[in-house]
Amino acid sequence: MPALLIILLLVWQSPAPEALAHLKGGGDALSQGRPAEAVAEFRRATEAAPELPAGFVGLGQALMQSGDYQGAVTPLKRALELNPDLPGAHQLLGFALLASGYANEAIPHLEKVQALDALGVAQLKMGKLAEATASLQAALAKRPGDVDLMYYLGRASGLLSRQTFEQLRATDPESARAHQILGETYAVLHNTAGAEQEYREALRLRPATPGVHLELGELYSAESQWDKAEREFRAEANLQPGDAEAAFRLGNALLQQGKVKEARRELERARGLAPGMADVLYALGKAASLDGDKVAAEKAWLAVLDIEKDGPLAGQAHFGLAGVYRQRGDSAKADAEMMEFQRLQKAVR
Amino acid sequence: MGQALSPGDRIQSHPAFAWPTAKAHGQSAVGEAGIWYDSRIVLRGSVVFCTLSAAALAVGLYGPIFDVGVPAGLVFHHENSPTPRKHLIETMGGGVALLDYNNDGLLDIFLVNSGHLGAEAKESFDRANPRYWNRLFRQNQDGSFTDVTAAAGLSSAGDANYGMGVAAADYDNDGFTDLYVTSYGRNILYRNNGNGTFTDVTARAGVAAGGWSVSAGFFDFDNDGKLDLFVTRYMEWDLMHSKSCGVSPKIYCSPSEFPAASSVLYRNRGDGTFEDVSLASGIAAKKGKALGVAFADYDDDGFADIFVANDGMEQFLFHNNGNGTFTERALEADVAFTDDGKRMSGMGVDFRDYDNDGRPDIVLTDLARQTYGVYHNEGHGAFSYRSLPTGIAALSGISSGWGMRLEDFDNDGWKDLFVAQGHVMDNVEQIDAGLHYLEPPMLAMNRGGRFERRDSGSPQPVAGRGAAFGDLNNDGWTDIVMSVLGGKPLVFRNRGGPAHWLTLSLRGTRSNRDGFGARVRVNGQSQYVTSAGSYLSASDKRVHFGLGAATSAQVEITWPSGVVQKMDDVPADRFLTVVEPERP
Repeated sequence: MPALLIILLLVWQSPAPEALAHLKGGGDALSQGRPAEAVAEFRRATEAAPELPAGFVGLGQALMQSGDYQGAVTPLKRALELNPDLPGAHQLLGFALLASGYANEAIPHLEKVQALDALGVAQLKMGKLAEATASLQAALAKRPGDVDLMYYLGRASGLLSRQTFEQLRATDPESARAHQILGETYAVLHNTAGAEQEYREALRLRPATPGVHLELGELYSAESQWDKAEREFRAEANLQPGDAEAAFRLGNALLQQGKVKEARRELERARGLAPGMADVLYALGKAASLDGDKVAAEKAWLAVLDIEKDGPLAGQAHFGLAGVYRQRGDSAKADAEMMEFQRLQKAVR
Repeated sequence: MGQALSPGDRIQSHPAFAWPTAKAHGQSAVGEAGIWYDSRIVLRGSVVFCTLSAAALAVGLYGPIFDVGVPAGLVFHHENSPTPRKHLIETMGGGVALLDYNNDGLLDIFLVNSGHLGAEAKESFDRANPRYWNRLFRQNQDGSFTDVTAAAGLSSAGDANYGMGVAAADYDNDGFTDLYVTSYGRNILYRNNGNGTFTDVTARAGVAAGGWSVSAGFFDFDNDGKLDLFVTRYMEWDLMHSKSCGVSPKIYCSPSEFPAASSVLYRNRGDGTFEDVSLASGIAAKKGKALGVAFADYDDDGFADIFVANDGMEQFLFHNNGNGTFTERALEADVAFTDDGKRMSGMGVDFRDYDNDGRPDIVLTDLARQTYGVYHNEGHGAFSYRSLPTGIAALSGISSGWGMRLEDFDNDGWKDLFVAQGHVMDNVEQIDAGLHYLEPPMLAMNRGGRFERRDSGSPQPVAGRGAAFGDLNNDGWTDIVMSVLGGKPLVFRNRGGPAHWLTLSLRGTRSNRDGFGARVRVNGQSQYVTSAGSYLSASDKRVHFGLGAATSAQVEITWPSGVVQKMDDVPADRFLTVVEPERP
């Protein structure tokens, strides 16, 4: 794009022949991957025609290509002094400034050309977390597979979350939500006792705080304390009877304790609340299977496969179906499901 | 038609809950059907013939079952020699056997040591140094132990052998229990000479195996009356090609880093030698990462089948075809994976009927963040995964299990579960703060097919590995010896209770002398006779049944020869030696 930019600039700038020759030489060198030669050519062009922005833009670009981002800043700024309406120069200067650590200075240039990826990174570096999250989300929507963008978006949203929580704690450190946040922090650090204490305090302060029982239940689940987990998930489900996750977690805690019939009821309820959740359907199939209802198990696992074709849950559903068909004496279908299971296992490996 | 036994055996008073006060006992008479009336009948204080009182029941339900400690004379420290290089063998050893090597009626203890590991990867483990000897401890009449290793000729374990596990059985049918010790290196078969000494007969017997052997067990796969030998091998691994994983911290590598290996099946020729039939039998056709092995006839066809606990891959169920070959059927039988199709890190295993439906089930221990596997035998060669309904899943989510057994510790007629626990990584807390390297063992009481946790009585968490089960003080209540990696073994002395019991010693005539492979049914319970199972360990070969409130039992024994022997009204609270009729 910058090479095209230089050509466009030249069309209406009518440079002197000597400058034109250097500009062409620089452009050729750049396109052929000889940045050092390009730098020399563009430098001569700026000397031959110091009023010509194209030479400075080319020089900036060549320097950036050589890895000298800081060196690129001066010629690019000069180009914009000569002509402030050069989008390409704004973009290059934004990149160069960002790469050199001048994120704050880069932002207006990147905003001008809506270079959302670099803009998001610059905003992140400047602690403008809400803006960064928005910019990076928009950039990622255009390039969904970009792992760098995913990283920066994750980081920006994580920091934003932390910032908000810190603000919350500063506003009212003795609020239920503040204790809930502390509980979450302890939970991440595997400090179960600390987390439990904070969650309990949150519930003491405001017994109906949504989400606290759920998190407490997850804390106990991680410790395999399923009876305690069940109590908490049940409390959350009572608080929020329409919450599919609470119903699912409660169903799973019951299942883990072998309370199959109760688990089935709760998982059915979760399915009613969120019909498209593959996890719920899989667990429902498992509970039905343990309850001896192979027809219901088959139905639930087939529904999982309608939602998820590949991945671990699909593999598990195929494995469960193979068992159902084997018990039914349908070895052809059992073998077919087993083959799918093994195919997905290999894919995971 | 069963035969009624009349009372009249000598009854010896025994102070309840005392330890150790076992007495030597002679066997007193032989019944018409070859039933030996053993005089080791022990009264448990004054409560034996009383109705179970509420107070006694409460003690049985809620009080501690075991006193845990180290009896006098049991001076042993397992030496695994952990190094910064994190050789996998360091964390895997610690076999233990309970056997009566001198036939004095008291169980003795054999503990397998590992060896010295230096900074260099040398295939030499300083086993001549007494610090690294395997040890045999003879139980004395007063319940203490005496180290008889040197006198028994067991001090030399071969310098190139890093010790792992042990199997115990009378492979030559001479009436004395022999030992087979597994190693990283060369395994050793010690023949019991019958005079308190053993002889290394490995070379002549042809059972050295090589590579990295782990658990082993004797069983009679062809029902020819001679005990054969199955040896699990973990993987293709040697010190030169050892490696650690992780950077900071360094950790023991997952088995996925190394190639699988085949286990070994030796057929007993009956002349003191064995034939390696691994290939011919089909066993070698399946390469695994085998750590545990257990035997039972799961499809009731009269031939012993093999379950192999594999680490980090599908499990193996070798179905005995009855013609000297085996077919691996874990997938078809639904015991290869969890019910989610997930692989388990199988380590210890037992193959016993936990729900008293007459069919042997499978319980498998594995690593934390998995759950122990319970496979219920549905009949017709199929199993169903029952970790959730039995409650075992909920009890085992953050534990790593090794040696284990389904055994009726409270004599209520239901087999409970004991598991030696401890993570494989000695720095697991740095990887997953929710897990622990040292763990107390698990004791789960069986309440009609569902298990509930109970305090094992272990004073502190340890790195449990091997576990052997048997009645050390002949009081009718099963005790446990658990090995501790890099530590001292723990003995779990069963405090007993008010319930009744019956313990049988089988003596095969047409079948192998130990009666291994016989199926014994008592008052609706069933046991498959074996000393194998668990992890790296061999248990008391006697067959124990809890009878609850019943004061007599109906006994039916199906011998490997096919002979069925029945006895009615066998009085409770005694040891019986039952001899297989020579004629059907």
